[in-house]
Amino acid sequence: MKTRVLGKSLPRFDAPGKVTGTLVYAADFSLPGMLVGKVFRSTEAHARLAHLDTTRANGLPGVRGIITAADVPDVRYGGAVKDETVLARDRVRYVGQPIAAVAATTLEAAEAALAAIVATYEPLTPVFDVETATAPDAPLLHPDWRTYTAMPILHREGNVCNRARIVAGDVERGFAEADRIFEHRFRTAMVHQGYTEPRAAVAQWDSAGTVTVWSNTQLPFEIQNTLAEILAIAPSKIRVVVPGIGGGFGGKLRVGVEHVAALLAKRAGRPVKVLTTAEEELTAAYPRQATIVELKTGVTRDGRITAKHGRIWFDTGAFAGSGPGVASVATLVLAGPYRIPNLDLEGHAVYTNKTNCGSFRAPSGPQSNFAVESQMDIIADALGLDPLDFRLKNIVREGDEGPTGQVLNAVGLEECLVKAADAIGWNDRRPGRWRGKGLACGRWTTTGGSSGVYVKINTDGTIALNTGAAEIGTAALTGAAQVLAEELSVDLEDINVVSADTFSTPFDFGAQGSRTAFAVGNACRAAAVDLTRQLYALAAPHLGVEPEACALRDKHVVADGKSLSLAELARLSQATGGGLIAHGTFIAPPTPYDTKRVESHAYPAFHSPSFHAHAAEVSVDPETGEITVENYVVAQDVGFAMNPTYIEGQIEGGVAQGLGQALSEEIVYDGGRVRNPNLTDYKMPTTLDVPRVQTILVQHPSLVGPYGAKGVGEPPNIEPPATVANAIAAATGVRITSLPITAEKVALALRDVTARSAES
Amino acid sequence: MSRIALALTINGQRHDVLTEAHRTLLDVLRADLGLTGTKENCLEGECGVCTVLLDGMAVDSCLLLAAQCQGREIVTIEGVSSRGGDDVLARAFIDCGAVQCGYCIPGMIISATAFLDEHPSPSEAEVREALAGNLCRCTGYQKIVDAVLAAGRTSGTETRGDAR
Ligand code: FES
Ligand code: FES
Repeated sequence: MKTRVLGKSLPRFDAPGKVTGTLVYAADFSLPGMLVGKVFRSTEAHARLAHLDTTRANGLPGVRGIITAADVPDVRYGGAVKDETVLARDRVRYVGQPIAAVAATTLEAAEAALAAIVATYEPLTPVFDVETATAPDAPLLHPDWRTYTAMPILHREGNVCNRARIVAGDVERGFAEADRIFEHRFRTAMVHQGYTEPRAAVAQWDSAGTVTVWSNTQLPFEIQNTLAEILAIAPSKIRVVVPGIGGGFGGKLRVGVEHVAALLAKRAGRPVKVLTTAEEELTAAYPRQATIVELKTGVTRDGRITAKHGRIWFDTGAFAGSGPGVASVATLVLAGPYRIPNLDLEGHAVYTNKTNCGSFRAPSGPQSNFAVESQMDIIADALGLDPLDFRLKNIVREGDEGPTGQVLNAVGLEECLVKAADAIGWNDRRPGRWRGKGLACGRWTTTGGSSGVYVKINTDGTIALNTGAAEIGTAALTGAAQVLAEELSVDLEDINVVSADTFSTPFDFGAQGSRTAFAVGNACRAAAVDLTRQLYALAAPHLGVEPEACALRDKHVVADGKSLSLAELARLSQATGGGLIAHGTFIAPPTPYDTKRVESHAYPAFHSPSFHAHAAEVSVDPETGEITVENYVVAQDVGFAMNPTYIEGQIEGGVAQGLGQALSEEIVYDGGRVRNPNLTDYKMPTTLDVPRVQTILVQHPSLVGPYGAKGVGEPPNIEPPATVANAIAAATGVRITSLPITAEKVALALRDVTARSAES
Repeated sequence: MSRIALALTINGQRHDVLTEAHRTLLDVLRADLGLTGTKENCLEGECGVCTVLLDGMAVDSCLLLAAQCQGREIVTIEGVSSRGGDDVLARAFIDCGAVQCGYCIPGMIISATAFLDEHPSPSEAEVREALAGNLCRCTGYQKIVDAVLAAGRTSGTETRGDAR
């Protein structure tokens, strides 16, 4: 395809503001007279809040307002289950839970006020892990769980806030057909998104009772609606504006600081800013759930998978958060990207007395894939098969069914696997002592939802693109702008983007689920079709032709050897009509699936699925267990590469983040308290930890995405843990089944092996 | 609280500030002077988003008291491009696709500026070592490292300006 703009590695439109420090992020945003808001948090994991005294704090200098549960509307809110309150009323459920909030003139004054608030607790029995929480007589975190409003499809019971299930075929028959049955258990740790900009919001009320919130949220419209519930006012009274965002990765989907800022601003009668600290981020944000996974897989001697029984438990923390949905998505991942006729897959989201977990880039993906793809290698080894061959024998191909019966198309998985394996040099899997290679593969969804854009052609020939989506860093809006520029035959520099303001931009389902470039790109296409029609109708009489004879070429409408520029046409239109304006919309079509295969399922099919394979070469120091990732390859089926450079950027960044989860990151809880709530002890990868990543773009065009594009952002985060786990096993002969795979775990496992071989 | 009067030289300009003795340079830059190109995150010297040049050295401004900076030369991201018109690094970051959310980028560019001043044509390993104190969660560092290497090559051939 010959293109003007699309498919080219053009620089993103927001880069200049970012390299010069002039782009204003939410954390940078301030207003005259603005106060500092801080949150008073629970020090207990599970307790009755017997008494709360804010009298002394209220009288301190600089304090302009304090709110407790008694001062705010008594509402429960939440995504799938409405189980959360802004401030704890009579019970606290995790260390870090907000109990009160203070607005003061300075940070010091606010902190002094927090120190002067006195809470008295009566301890309740805490529950710190999913095994205890799901035991028959476990203490309930939410004794009133039955009274909560929840998505009707959920299956809830006590501490379990959803159990989703996929059943296909007959697993017992499948196991009977198997020659070997493998059972394994895996664990993964709680990890944080690690965005570099803390969550931030500034709220200001006007005299008409409208509140404006400047926030670094990924989902302005979701925040608008949640705030409407929390503040008990109409959504039209709430304006959410998103300035620059310093990363989100799913951690900035849900209301986190916006409600506190809005409530304090109302109380104090002045604008209030709330900005989280690193400690608050690591103790009271929306991290990725820790999980336990159990897999039972039946295979024939020649390596055909006949049945899989999989169960995953998500430690979702004190409130449901994203847990019920994530537990659903997990069941699709537990199937693996394989043809398995008999499946029984369950995902459980379980309450414990820890921080409320949320969504993190490909929610449930890395945990489930780590288990599935680790077990694939274990099975291949046990059967004496090459792990690549074993996968190729079982992977899904064009026209196959997904686990819930959806028909798969544009399946680029084989190409991904073969190319990744070739690039890593798969024929030499153990290239030296303590050196080994591993691979893993998977599939992921391109989340649906709707997107709208307004597009206007300006009288200087530039284009205004107005979208409700926020640019969170992925360059997705640059991709969408490239689509628009291509369709209107202009350059990327001609497009000016206005985004994410709930008062003025059209609705968008938000920057989540690898959907932004895909969905906004399609909305741009729709708007361009409309604008083109308007342009031709306007130009035709002036060019002395019928509209059908017109074409768009290089910023002009041309026909019959004559032409009119977009600028001239915009001027003409403004003089005679309302200007050249179009509204483009897109909603992803539903993906048909077999409803009989799912129970209590919030996400039964992967839309426009992407396919991917990762391969790594690692070396291990046998003394210290220290792991070095020497080489890393990703082959990802992106459908169509709108802007190859930024797709590579997504892949390189996703791998780095995935390697953190694989090797070093863990929010360590001990008796309900986080032991490492700082960036010294919560170890994210630095320049010294991340290898160069070789990216191979595979392009099997999807039926729905613009020019065949598929979602790109989340997938690269899924496979790294399994990939390095498999490479480590190849290098050392020991299999680590829990994340993160620290040097310590590897060294201990190696010592065990040595000790055992010495005994025998 | 008692305040002290400070004369700070930032991006070649003198700023007189009246502030409490305990306040950090980062605080004064962002809150008092509106220089929000220098970012804030961990406030404990772990992430590098607050990096500025202090007498040509890259330092975490969240760990420095403003009072310690009297009489010393401070350069922030806002001042980097005015240094002899030297925006080679910024250009290289854009051209290499090294910018995603961008929140780490000012700190990266500052660290890289100090580093390239000392090591005009570095190796990849040296660049990685120099940027090890700057966390980026978006890019996986590859294109950032490429940008610094590219800027090193460009400035090596162009002779870098030096306004200090
Ligand atoms: S904010 Fe200064 S190092 Fe993180
Ligand atoms: S570009 Fe987002 S943290 Fe570096």
